[in-house]
Amino acid sequence: MNTRQTISVILLLLGGLLAFMPLSGRYSLHEKPGHLLSEVLEESTGFTVDQVARFVSTGDSTVQLVDLRLSEEFAKFNIPGSVNLPYDEFLEKDLTPYLSQPGKKSILYSNGDTDAGYALVLARGLGYKNCYMMQGGLNSWFETVMNSEFTGEKISAKENALFESRMKARRLFNEVNSMPDSLKQKYIASKRFDPRKLDGGCE
Amino acid sequence: MKRNYMNPYVAGVMLGLVLLLAMYLSGRGLAASGGIKYCVVSLVGNLSEKHASQSVYYSKYFEDGQKPLKNWLPIEMFGILAGGFISGAVSGRLKFRIEKSPKISSTRRLVLAFLGGICFVYGAQLARGCTSGAALSGMAVLSLGGFVTMAAIFGSAYLFAFIFKRNWI
Amino acid sequence: MGPISSLPGFPAWLDLLFAFVIGTGFGFALEQAGFSSCRKLTGMFYGYDTTVIKVFFTAAIVALVGSQFLAYFGLLDLSLVFVNEYYINAALIGGVIMGAGFILGGYCPGTGLSALSIGKIDALFYALGGLTGAFLFAETYPAIVGIANAASRGPVRINEILGLSPGVFTFLLIGAAVCMFWIAEIAERKFARPEITREL
Repeated sequence: MNTRQTISVILLLLGGLLAFMPLSGRYSLHEKPGHLLSEVLEESTGFTVDQVARFVSTGDSTVQLVDLRLSEEFAKFNIPGSVNLPYDEFLEKDLTPYLSQPGKKSILYSNGDTDAGYALVLARGLGYKNCYMMQGGLNSWFETVMNSEFTGEKISAKENALFESRMKARRLFNEVNSMPDSLKQKYIASKRFDPRKLDGGCE
Repeated sequence: MKRNYMNPYVAGVMLGLVLLLAMYLSGRGLAASGGIKYCVVSLVGNLSEKHASQSVYYSKYFEDGQKPLKNWLPIEMFGILAGGFISGAVSGRLKFRIEKSPKISSTRRLVLAFLGGICFVYGAQLARGCTSGAALSGMAVLSLGGFVTMAAIFGSAYLFAFIFKRNWI
Repeated sequence: MGPISSLPGFPAWLDLLFAFVIGTGFGFALEQAGFSSCRKLTGMFYGYDTTVIKVFFTAAIVALVGSQFLAYFGLLDLSLVFVNEYYINAALIGGVIMGAGFILGGYCPGTGLSALSIGKIDALFYALGGLTGAFLFAETYPAIVGIANAASRGPVRINEILGLSPGVFTFLLIGAAVCMFWIAEIAERKFARPEITREL
């Protein structure tokens, strides 16, 4: 067989593999379920709402918040800077733009701990190691960041810092969520991973 | 000692592996006309800072005191020169000469080469890529723009080849 | 997981070193394939030498297949690899201008540079023309920016437009390429010009 024929056969075989092989390699979990569960139950995989409030109020760009609720719920209000990835679509979408942005931690949250917990197990199982969850979810966010008031006579420096960051996050939350839908869409869209920001091409 | 050219399919595999390496190491494809652009920008910037800062086009390459040559594309271009030279050296093909059809004069060839260069790089800047940047690398990432650009280049080249036949055959 | 340059803490100078190494491989492969010869390149359009299509499609397919396998084994994150955007008008008009440039000059920028590196004077003039062309573009940019940026569809992939999976499209492309290689070899015999190919 001459070179053309050899190359043609090899390429056709490889192409056939790509076309007909179920390329769902990324859907098989990379670790044993038991190990995954214990990994997720560890505290190091969770952030408190206060920590998230600090990320939000300082505009920390090394953090990406991922809101697991339905899109209608997301549209009503969401934590500023978060992107929407409804839990039911978790396994249908390509998760990389949401969970694997270079240099960014992804923090998942839902109303409580259930969806976020499941999603975190799946995410880490699929290999997205840079994922965490917001403990307590939006319920805890409202209780602590939005509605808590300082009671007592004197405030320590640490508590002061805590309440300041809660105030800032609260203000930002109200501001962004009271934007008209069109502006909010723009703000949300600007937070989405943009493949056009990659370096490349010939120009 | 002059070596023959490599078998085209083998050379294609080699080139494909280089492209794959570019994708794996730098997350981008190969490119050539981009490097030329950066050389021009750097030249203009050095010759006339005033012109560079006033132009919408040039000024964006000098923001924050950046040096245009300190970029992936021009460095890659220097690499192409180096790689070609090495290949020519090991294959005994290093020689100063003008390659042309015997039916035209050397002067005509040089003039056409100059004009061809102008056209090609102008078109490449417009289409955001040349045959390596848009077509080859574009095809390797399944980019629609890459396929369309390639079809446009090759399609129109066949047309022009017919028109300019006497210069080559 | 690749691309290496997107890993956290990656030093910028290392990417430039990659650029040089990759460029060297590029130039070497081009020259070895014979693309430092304008008569070999233009042979594609007159039938007597179809090296261009063989090298071009083999290279694109090897990279395409290789990147998909790397992605499958979790070694390369394809969403972080640049996909050039589709600007309809600019692609078509620029492509036609490039076609003219190819036949007039006998080179494309990559092959022209590899030809220059082995001492071809016509490639030198081509490169000088190239610099001039880039300069002209920069100077006429305000006039042409409208065309350059018109009708953008973003970084759309061809398999998405056709509704196919990347693997299936790759397979079809390989099929098409195999047919083209076969036709190319027939064409070379039919349009042979030994007086030229002997000299290459």
